[in-house]
Amino acid sequence: MHAHKENHAFEPKIVAFVCTWCTYAGADLAGTARLQYPANTRVVKFPCTGRIDPVFILRAFQKGADGVLVSGCHPGDCHYMAGNFHARRRFAAFRALLDFIGVDLNRLQFSWVSAAEGGKWVEVATELTERVRAMGPMREFRELETEEQWSGAIDTPELQAAYEAIP
Amino acid sequence: MPKTITDQNLRLLIDALVAEGKRVVGPRAAGTMTLYAPLAKGEELNLGELPRRSAKETFFPLCETILTYERDKEGVRVTDVDPGTIPGTVLVAARPCDVAAAPVLDSVFSWDFKDEFFLERRRKTTIIGLACTRADDACFCTAVGLSPNDTKGSDLFLTPLTDGGYRCDAITEKGEALLATHASLFAEGDGTPAPLAEPSLGKLDLDRIKAWLDTHFEDPLWGEIAERCAGCGACAFLCPACHCFDIVDEGGETKGTRRKSWDACGFGKFTNHASGHNPRDVQPQRYRNRIMHKFKYYVDKFDQRLCTGCGRCIRACPVGIDIAEILSAIGTRDQEPGTGKD
Amino acid sequence: MTNTAQTIDPALYAAVTDAIRAEAKKVLEAGAAAAVVGWQAGRRQGTAMPAIITDPAKVAELIFSPACVNNLALYLSKAKKEIRARGRIAIVVKGCDLKALVGLMGENQLKREDLHVIGVVCAGVQRAGAAKDIPLSEETIAGKCRECTVHTPEGADVTVGTLPDLPHFTPVESEELSRLEAMTPAQRWSFWKEHFARCIRCYACRQVCPFCYCEQCLCDRNRPQAVETTPRPAGNMAWHIVRAMHLAGRCAGCAECERVCPMDIPLNLLNRKMAKELKELYGHEAGFEVKEKGPLAQYREDDDQSFIK
Repeated sequence: MHAHKENHAFEPKIVAFVCTWCTYAGADLAGTARLQYPANTRVVKFPCTGRIDPVFILRAFQKGADGVLVSGCHPGDCHYMAGNFHARRRFAAFRALLDFIGVDLNRLQFSWVSAAEGGKWVEVATELTERVRAMGPMREFRELETEEQWSGAIDTPELQAAYEAIP
Repeated sequence: MPKTITDQNLRLLIDALVAEGKRVVGPRAAGTMTLYAPLAKGEELNLGELPRRSAKETFFPLCETILTYERDKEGVRVTDVDPGTIPGTVLVAARPCDVAAAPVLDSVFSWDFKDEFFLERRRKTTIIGLACTRADDACFCTAVGLSPNDTKGSDLFLTPLTDGGYRCDAITEKGEALLATHASLFAEGDGTPAPLAEPSLGKLDLDRIKAWLDTHFEDPLWGEIAERCAGCGACAFLCPACHCFDIVDEGGETKGTRRKSWDACGFGKFTNHASGHNPRDVQPQRYRNRIMHKFKYYVDKFDQRLCTGCGRCIRACPVGIDIAEILSAIGTRDQEPGTGKD
Repeated sequence: MTNTAQTIDPALYAAVTDAIRAEAKKVLEAGAAAAVVGWQAGRRQGTAMPAIITDPAKVAELIFSPACVNNLALYLSKAKKEIRARGRIAIVVKGCDLKALVGLMGENQLKREDLHVIGVVCAGVQRAGAAKDIPLSEETIAGKCRECTVHTPEGADVTVGTLPDLPHFTPVESEELSRLEAMTPAQRWSFWKEHFARCIRCYACRQVCPFCYCEQCLCDRNRPQAVETTPRPAGNMAWHIVRAMHLAGRCAGCAECERVCPMDIPLNLLNRKMAKELKELYGHEAGFEVKEKGPLAQYREDDDQSFIK
């Protein structure tokens, strides 16, 4: 399977926003079935993909994610009937916006993973992790995080250390 | 004894100051506009137009860090920013309307609480003012008692000459010192000053305006002029004298940064209480505060006015509010006390 | 006068001014409206500002000129409750402004019957920062007006003015959009990064937008904080992304955000891009008809999902 024992120079941080009914259950199934996938994925559970505000994706990148995965129920399977349909449009638009701003969309993955698709979860999580690993760290947002307006910039060693400590 | 400096030597002076390790701030081209910004070399100095933002950010940054914090099992560790690390700065070719605001702001920042971030920047900055030879239809420095060659706040003052150079007058000891350390770039003498800018608005009767404001906190005028106000902060943020700020913690439970950044009384949330009550709940009340603070409260407290007539708020207002027009209108209003009603 | 083929005949504006005044007088005198929201001249030559006129004797203050840039629909949004509280409002709109009114009606912010809409035929308005020369020319006309498709507003209670022959202007906004689309993501990132770094968070873009009427803006909240409120590059980037996203499918393209930006950030490029995407994806165009639901408030089961695994 996906046994990763080798040491990588770069371990990407992947944030996965998932719905509780399908993808979270799918990821759980992957766990109970003892399927292996990279430990880089941090799962954040939501009631529905319809609750996942695009600002969460933005925030994840700002706070140090190298890749973001958003996953929910297959169309037609939404526990709330249409949450994922709404989410689909919203993410289509948000993707276009991020692309226009200059974010490489290879860092952002959307998927439908049902409660029965433990294998698909492993596949999606692994593929995104390895793709982002190959791309290297998400520097853009992290660099912004440390930038100051010229008037407020002072280079004290303490401040620099403090900034570097921010993940 | 007056001195002169050529345009080329002014730029060499900037190079020399940069070489000394000073941060030199002056008008620099930035895309479609000019902004006060650090200059890497004299060539970057751009004297073509009034910078879009005022020079206040030299002393009062748009956003600055006050402290950082970290929390773990051991407890909370707070690291204050040491204002001593603020770099020595020379502000070059700042307009009189920008420079004159600095001593006015000293009053509030050294009043009951000493704002060491502001004051340390003031102490460490030498200001080279530059007389204005061009005014547009929004300029009104002469109407509020300044002039295009007002030296208020400057340490050194440059007056453009007809031949392209500048006359240079030392106004303070700081200015004398800068002149003395770079004496070779200056020549003895005078020169013919180029004609000064002539703002078109006539002198305002500021005492009369103050007297009206004293008795007209409630007046229909506020609604008339400010109902159109959109409630943004463009006027306050471009103003050389507006100095409200907000302090926020950005970060998380375990670590973060406390920052101070510009705020504006035009914002709806500016006076919003934690309870949800907002004492200035409609825009005219917020706009009234802008005028009152500039031309009454600050006068009562410090006998100074928070307006230098730079005209930036007039140029930038999204809905065409013109403070000079409002002041003119107030100056001609009936002095009878208001009705006590909005 | 310069080459007449390249400028806009100013006669239109004078004729429209007269017609606005006559209509305003009529509705105020008849009590058909409690106030007229229009434009009046500013103190400085060649400037104008929004006017709220309630007295029929003051209708002569109303004007229409290339300086009448403001989208007055702002004054009917929830952000300006005091004005609507006066009763039925007559509002003067250009074609682009009317699109915002239509959008606000679709969002249940306005009822058509509460408004008396005075539509003005518009040949274009000034670009921000341009010389206030009359007549308007390639040099001075606003970017949005160069490729305007709504010179004559449709669906107003009364529409005044006759459109003169217009010169052909190069569509600078579309060209700029194409230029950005052709860049690599890294180039686009540095383009926006540079622009957003200048942002001072004065929120002029938000405050003039007819669609930014939320009583509590997400970006003013700090518990939880979605977007940093400080004007640092990080928070600025987040703010502009959130703004563009919240207006996607709603923005009617008046470009007021871009006009008012004191830091000259080309904000309408973002809005145009989103409008273009939503048109391509869902065939939606904002502002032409009152729609109960925008493109991001509805769905079809067969929507594109090629980007989803």
